[in-house]
Amino acid sequence: MEGRPLDDIALVERAKNGDVNAYEALVQHYQELAFRVAYQVTGNAADAEDAAQEAFVNAYYALGRFRPGAPFKPWLCRIVVNEARNRRTSAQRRTVLAERALVAQSSGDSAQSPEAAAEADAFRSTLVATVRTLREDDRLILAYRLFFDLSEAEMAEALKVPRGTVKSRLSRALGRLRAALPADIRMPSSAGGHDG
Amino acid sequence: MADPQRITDLDLEGALRDLGPRYPYPPTPNLASRVRLRITAQPVPRPRRLELWRDPRRLALVAAVLLVLLGAAAVANPATRNAIAHFFHVGGVIVNRQPSPLPSFSPVTPLDLGRRTTRDDAQSKVSFTIEVPAELGTPDAVYVVSGIPGGEVSLAYTPRPGIPLVRETGLGVLVTEFRGDLIPGFITKSLGEGTTAQEVSVNGDPGWWIAGQPHMIYVDVAGQSQPLTLRMASNTLIWEHGGVTYRIESDLSKADAFRLAAGLP
Repeated sequence: MEGRPLDDIALVERAKNGDVNAYEALVQHYQELAFRVAYQVTGNAADAEDAAQEAFVNAYYALGRFRPGAPFKPWLCRIVVNEARNRRTSAQRRTVLAERALVAQSSGDSAQSPEAAAEADAFRSTLVATVRTLREDDRLILAYRLFFDLSEAEMAEALKVPRGTVKSRLSRALGRLRAALPADIRMPSSAGGHDG
Repeated sequence: MADPQRITDLDLEGALRDLGPRYPYPPTPNLASRVRLRITAQPVPRPRRLELWRDPRRLALVAAVLLVLLGAAAVANPATRNAIAHFFHVGGVIVNRQPSPLPSFSPVTPLDLGRRTTRDDAQSKVSFTIEVPAELGTPDAVYVVSGIPGGEVSLAYTPRPGIPLVRETGLGVLVTEFRGDLIPGFITKSLGEGTTAQEVSVNGDPGWWIAGQPHMIYVDVAGQSQPLTLRMASNTLIWEHGGVTYRIESDLSKADAFRLAAGLP
């Protein structure tokens, strides 16, 4: 994480100067993030793929306006989200929740008893399903922070809001997620809660 | 909240972090080659100056020509020099003056000096003899980067009487040494307004004194994509001797920086 933004600065500068290899390296590095961010918005793979690809192409032609030394990742996120929003029709919005039952991958922790593993899987599936019911900006802010590990500064840049707003929005999104969880849900011992 | 079984925000954050890598995303498509195809099919028009970066030979030629022009301009009128965009070259260093203002940088920008180690270990990793400024003596910390041809070593000195703190680095003096002849790459210094660059002679070798506002440095290796260091540089004296490029970064005056340089090759 430490070294990455520095790599980005150099790659962006090269790409700006027409180095297609440098830009391809950036795409290679960020395509998973871009696709997943788009997927958080579109809820289906085809639109997410389309949005991510278009975002990379648009970002390339917009590099000339990109402030030298600025962080690439949140800037890209912003473009991806815009592209994804453009593709999300109201029809798709309705089908998002009707998509195939999604089961988060098991932790594959062999030290767990089958019961504990099943409990953790069930908890994660509930969490995924509940995250998907949240409104888009809540889903995005949680995903940025907790799935994609953006810093507060990067989130502020990605969402184009002040840093203080990031904190309060994140906290409100967490609150709404908790409220949306089934009332009887409990933390499984192995679902990644904080220890000590 | 009082219910100990109820999920707290912290629990929820932890659970989401744990979920992140396991979130049921569809497989990521390979976009890189498709994006490449599209952007090469429709190249973006670029300013001619930027083309230089793609061709080291042309870059070297332009650097040489500009160096000559620059020398003439400096003699004729120092202000002229500041008004034009120019490149110049010292060993493995290419300095690029940009007329546009630099973005602001936070002083907390981490110094990426490489791996901290002992002087003996650093010496075994680089292809040149590490020189320590006689006046400063043993450095407070030694860093080595061995992933570049010839290696790079940085000697860090904490502030002390007569050596002021450099806010941007948290250090007093930073001396960096690397093979300037082996790397077909360069350090780019992007100089903003308020930064001056002056051609100087250091111990009889050509060099540059770059002073004023902090400026950004990054090392890059041609043909590869990663920068090797990036940091806020303060007043910088940089020169090449015997195929090794030396750089002293500090808030010292030019005269004091030259005094330190006198203890180096």
